[in-house]
Amino acid sequence: MNNSKNESSGKDYNYWRSLKELNNNPEAFDQKANEFMKGVTDDFEISGMSPVSRRKFLALLSASVAFAASSCTNYHSHGEIIPYNKKPEEVTPGIPNLYASTCTGCSNACGILIKTREGRPIKVDGNPDHPVNKGKICAIGQASVINLYDPNRLKTPVAISQEGNSSINWKTVDEGMIAELEKASSSGKQIAIISGRISSPSEKMVLDNFIAKYPTARVYSYELFENGVRNAAWNRSYAPGSFPLIQWDQAKVIVSLEGDFLANEGHAIENIQMFSKGRDGFLNKDFNRLYVVEATMTPTGMAADYRLRLKPDRQLDFVLSLMNEIGERTKSSIKAPSGTSSLKDFVKNENMLAGTVEHLVQDLIDNRGSAIVYAGSLLPEDVHVAVNALNEMLGNTRLYRTDQAEVLQIPFAQKQDLENLVGEMNKGNVQVIIHYDTNPIFDLPQDYGYADALKKVPFSIAMLEQENETSALCRYALPISHDFESWGDFNTRMGIFSLRQPVIYPLYSTRQKEAILLSWASGDSKFYKDTVYHDFIMNNWEKGLFASAKSPLDFRTFWLTALENGVVVLPENAPAPAGFKAASLSEIKPPSKAGRYTLYLKGNYSIGDGRYANNGFLQELPHPVTKVVWDNYAFISPKTAEEFGLEMNDMVEVKVGSRKQEFPVFIQPGTADGAVVVELGYGRRKAGEVGTGTGVNANILMSKDAPVTPFIYNDAQIRKASGAYKLVTTQEQHTIEDTRAKDAHKRRGIIREGTVDEYKKNPGFLEKEEREKISMNKNPEYLGVKWAMGIDLNKCVGCNACVTACDIENNVPVVGKEQVDKGRIMHWFRVDRYYSGTAEDPVSYTQPMLCQHCDTAPCENVCPVAATTHSPDGLNQMVYNRCVGTRYCSNNCPYKVRRFNFFNFRDHFADGYYLQEPVEMVYNPEVTVRSRGVMEKCTFCVQRIMQARENAIEENRELKGSDVQTACQQACPSEAIVFGDANDPDSIISKFRAHNLGYHVLVDLNTRPNITYLAKLRNIHPEV
Amino acid sequence: MSIDYSKEFSVIEGKPTLAEINDLIARPTETRPDRGYYIALTITLSMLLIGIVCLGLTFYYGIGMWGNNQPVGWGFGIVNFVFWVGIGHAGTLISAILFLFRQKWRNGIARFSEGMTIFAVMTAGIFPLIHVGRPWLAAYLFPYPNEHGIWVNFISPLVWDVFAVSTYLTVSLIFWYVGLIPDLASLRDRTTGKIKKLIYSVFSLGWRHSNRHWHHYEMVYLVLAGFATPLVLSVHTIVSFDFAVSVLPGWHSTIFPPYFVAGAVFSGFAMVQNVLIVVRKIFHYEHIITIDTLEKMNKIILLTGSMVGYSYGMEFFIAWYSGNPVEQFVFINRAFGPYAWAYWIMVTCNVISPQLFWFKKIRRTIPVMFVIGVFVNVGMWFERFVIVVSSLSRDFLPSSWRYFTPTPVDLGILLGSFGFFFTWILLFIKTLPVVSIAEIKGVIEGSQIEHHAAEDSTSFRPRQQEGM
Repeated sequence: MNNSKNESSGKDYNYWRSLKELNNNPEAFDQKANEFMKGVTDDFEISGMSPVSRRKFLALLSASVAFAASSCTNYHSHGEIIPYNKKPEEVTPGIPNLYASTCTGCSNACGILIKTREGRPIKVDGNPDHPVNKGKICAIGQASVINLYDPNRLKTPVAISQEGNSSINWKTVDEGMIAELEKASSSGKQIAIISGRISSPSEKMVLDNFIAKYPTARVYSYELFENGVRNAAWNRSYAPGSFPLIQWDQAKVIVSLEGDFLANEGHAIENIQMFSKGRDGFLNKDFNRLYVVEATMTPTGMAADYRLRLKPDRQLDFVLSLMNEIGERTKSSIKAPSGTSSLKDFVKNENMLAGTVEHLVQDLIDNRGSAIVYAGSLLPEDVHVAVNALNEMLGNTRLYRTDQAEVLQIPFAQKQDLENLVGEMNKGNVQVIIHYDTNPIFDLPQDYGYADALKKVPFSIAMLEQENETSALCRYALPISHDFESWGDFNTRMGIFSLRQPVIYPLYSTRQKEAILLSWASGDSKFYKDTVYHDFIMNNWEKGLFASAKSPLDFRTFWLTALENGVVVLPENAPAPAGFKAASLSEIKPPSKAGRYTLYLKGNYSIGDGRYANNGFLQELPHPVTKVVWDNYAFISPKTAEEFGLEMNDMVEVKVGSRKQEFPVFIQPGTADGAVVVELGYGRRKAGEVGTGTGVNANILMSKDAPVTPFIYNDAQIRKASGAYKLVTTQEQHTIEDTRAKDAHKRRGIIREGTVDEYKKNPGFLEKEEREKISMNKNPEYLGVKWAMGIDLNKCVGCNACVTACDIENNVPVVGKEQVDKGRIMHWFRVDRYYSGTAEDPVSYTQPMLCQHCDTAPCENVCPVAATTHSPDGLNQMVYNRCVGTRYCSNNCPYKVRRFNFFNFRDHFADGYYLQEPVEMVYNPEVTVRSRGVMEKCTFCVQRIMQARENAIEENRELKGSDVQTACQQACPSEAIVFGDANDPDSIISKFRAHNLGYHVLVDLNTRPNITYLAKLRNIHPEV
Repeated sequence: MSIDYSKEFSVIEGKPTLAEINDLIARPTETRPDRGYYIALTITLSMLLIGIVCLGLTFYYGIGMWGNNQPVGWGFGIVNFVFWVGIGHAGTLISAILFLFRQKWRNGIARFSEGMTIFAVMTAGIFPLIHVGRPWLAAYLFPYPNEHGIWVNFISPLVWDVFAVSTYLTVSLIFWYVGLIPDLASLRDRTTGKIKKLIYSVFSLGWRHSNRHWHHYEMVYLVLAGFATPLVLSVHTIVSFDFAVSVLPGWHSTIFPPYFVAGAVFSGFAMVQNVLIVVRKIFHYEHIITIDTLEKMNKIILLTGSMVGYSYGMEFFIAWYSGNPVEQFVFINRAFGPYAWAYWIMVTCNVISPQLFWFKKIRRTIPVMFVIGVFVNVGMWFERFVIVVSSLSRDFLPSSWRYFTPTPVDLGILLGSFGFFFTWILLFIKTLPVVSIAEIKGVIEGSQIEHHAAEDSTSFRPRQQEGM
């Protein structure tokens, strides 16, 4: 259309497009005449234009985009990638997939189920099919998922030099390493592999293959905490082999000597499950009776009916004098070694509670055959020998388990082995040292001189997930895959084989450690491929396990079934115990002369031997006894503190031999006078951004030549040091000293208790509270399902698994030590601890505390914007979007279970540590990530309830209470938590609510809480 | 003693002429501020600036900048709110209740104290908004129609607060403004500046001092005084419901409404007394705001202080009498627990110090009464601190007890609130008559028709003179 035509047609037909045009305004015609901007319609010069044609430009553009897109990802190395243009059969967006695997957080190798959503692991729980842990795992296992997404993970192989670290590629590593290994083995120099406990048969074969290829290789396997002492003692008392496990559920009387078997010793999860069967307040009136003799308060000590304080170096004398006394009373043929002091004298000298000791002796004698004496793993070998003898004397060997026994793939390196290794290293006879996911620089006693020796090794390698103290001294650090990215098989119990399968492709350029060794063992630098270890295990299983299982299935089906179940159980029994060697008792050396003060180093409850130091969830997990977070410290008794003029948070210097360290003081009620107890694993110098510098390194106090054990020093010197420290607890430490607050938990009806005897005589001894109170408001009615929870205080041992499970399930943030100090910890679920009695011998209580979902919730009335409301199924709901954050609800909550986001805690902790890639991948997509300024609290896992409801609707049936398991309930090893529909008369929860022992906290307020606690019963002798 | 009760004493000393009163009261608005004023303004603005910076930090990072924690969800924010609402109580009490009771001595102080009320309520009103976690959503606290069909929760005392405080502010502002109209007209008549004239003209609403105007004015003023009177009692009653309606021991108490109102009047009078002592000195109003007036205020401070002291005692008695162990613990903990220091500051300042006003000499000695006034305000701030913080820090479950420590940001915002308040006071005293010109003229000796007082005819009907 040209201008003139346009104009004429306008005139001819009198079409008009604006009023101006209609009125023949000249402006409008001007505009119309110049349809195009000035200059646009001018002719252009071809010569002045770009030589690139439009066509050519587009071609270049698309080529460069394609090039950029393809070159940025090395996707060919990841195999074939197929987009979801057709939905994969096994992945439905929104529906989680569960994969059976094995946890390698410690050497117990629990079976786990990993929950993945759209391909990313978000939660770990126990595998119910696993015969040992039976669907439960500990707090560490629960929190281990965050390690996968730890931003501090090593992402590529690194060459470490003084100028700084530089990334290298795996090809270089493989080529260089194989050359180096060949050189070493051909020149006869040693190749040392420093490994942790080997629990995997296939891994053992990898090491065997490695040694076959490089004959100078030697494996040194060690763990900071292991059962070596127990095995050695068993060896002395009976025969070589593995010590027996104990049937805790059959025991009527348990005497634990410094044995924290309910928390961090042996297979604590299994122990808790078995132990709590003997303390089921819901079902039984018969309880086991637990005596604990220990240096400082432990979770096991808190669960005890009777508790005695004793320094760990005195345990040997105690057991011997106990034997003396029992031997005399029972006329036993087994005699305590001569020269043993009488029990009476011992009790007097040690100032023990004579009445309790008398009960202990009598109970052991009365329950011969159904009692067990258990010694802690850190006690000297002689104590274990004596305890073996004592159990033999009482016929308690009946309680040793024959169905299961521990299996050790590779024996631990002894002190002599490690000394030799260091000697060889110093002599220059060790060419290559491979740290196989271990940290000996931190773990081993300093007097091995390992650090100096390591510098003399020409070729040192550390395989690890993130850099540590050892890798800092090595030449190369090789990143290994996380558990969830790795294949593996485990056999820690006779006949029980569990599988570990990867649930996500390695996030970084990592390889699993077994595959690295395997490819080096092949001698071919091009050997490695992703599936190398998978193929290796399958091959092993086909030849070994499959053959011996005599399965009717073909191997592929067998293998896939095993993967699906996560575990294969073969009928294998523990060997029958050999005869008792009474002579072993005469080998017991009299205890070395003791000083006044004893240093006792023991394990902590959250970060293992220090390997979980960079896990904020575990660092922020309150200590089960002290409720301290982010630190370790010296436990001392109130009396010892007074002696040195020490207050809480003062510094104390502990000296053993020439080694000394300063610790903050924690005055712990129930600590043996003269004992200084410190937990190991803290004080890492190089443990990532979170873990570095938390706590104090107590490992440096250890000595390989310790007179008693590396954990016990009875010649410690202590003195008050200058300076102060800030220990941060989630619960103030006041109640035992403060007379006004003393026993407030009992007087206020927070904890209700009785004795088993009382309960047997009068099951209704606990006065039933008046639940229906007069109310001004109409009490809500719940016609359908009504959610409620029950917690049996008799079963709870305060293990914290529930706390971590809740944290992970509900995206609870880590806030850091400083914010916990301000009182801003975000845990929805906490375990409260109370003391009664004296500061010397307190009685302790643990009480899980969470939102009580009160029928007449005080928080709901006061919210001005109706952001917290009640659901028709009895949930106290929190509407994050509506919340403006007045915090009135929290003030008015008598249970103080509401948590406020004082900051955006995700970017607040350590300058946004948890905002880094890829941490956000851990979040449960079903749970809102709360913003700053919003109140939050336990929801009874409403996301799980909704899921169950959807399922019920889909299946066209009524929703049942048993369809839902909350995260805490699922995690609780002792099954102290029940959850369900209170309106269903057949449900466990409604029986819980009607139970004689059932009570509600602060019932006088008429909040009508929906968490029913079963009162704590102590199995103590009736007072005469 | 022979006092002639049939004769009313003038509340104004001497017998200033009407012109003198006009000149004296209008002078601060007509002269340029002097150096002292600028220094004072610099100080208050600096305080305000500190508050703004601290507020900025709070908005940027979150309430975590304050000392609040679990279980102490409310800290300085609510303490300051209740404190400032309390300060705001004296004004309306003086201007409305004392007006209804025909207390003529109030005329010299009513304008100022009411201005103070408004500024105090404005200051107080900041806190509920800034103390919430997400202040950008504070509008949710108001019932407004929205597409979600969500209303506020009418059974929450915080919602009552919103209504009580906003009603109080509105009524006080109107009452104050109505009272200002005749004075604004006087200033309009006096001023020569063009802009000032415009402003005063607009705000005096065409007031011409006519008889008809006065007639309507008196009527409106009386009605508004009637409106404002229940509000004096209701506002702090409702503020006290924030606490009394909760289940928290130490808060959940029926004595709170009268106790809070008494406390509010107590602190309000102390603040009025304090500031007026300075104002009367600087502006030479000693004969208008006389020692007699100050003494009367001190008597009220003594009365309300004793009521507050009684309430403290009664709280303890009821705690013991109720037999509720948690309640008993809370009060023993207040006096002997970790916050005993705050409690004893409160008792010393609020209960002991005003008892000195039993002595006439002290009631009439300016420096001493000033110090006692300061004490009372310190004490009343601590009273709110003790109620809010000590009750929260140790409630039902010993496992969740925790000490509250304020942060520098908390202190900065407290300082800023004083800066905000005094900045308004300073602006007020230079722009508006701090004493009601019209009302003072009404209480000069001889200004009212009396049965046996025709001797001085010059002072008869002063207002008509004014109008000319």
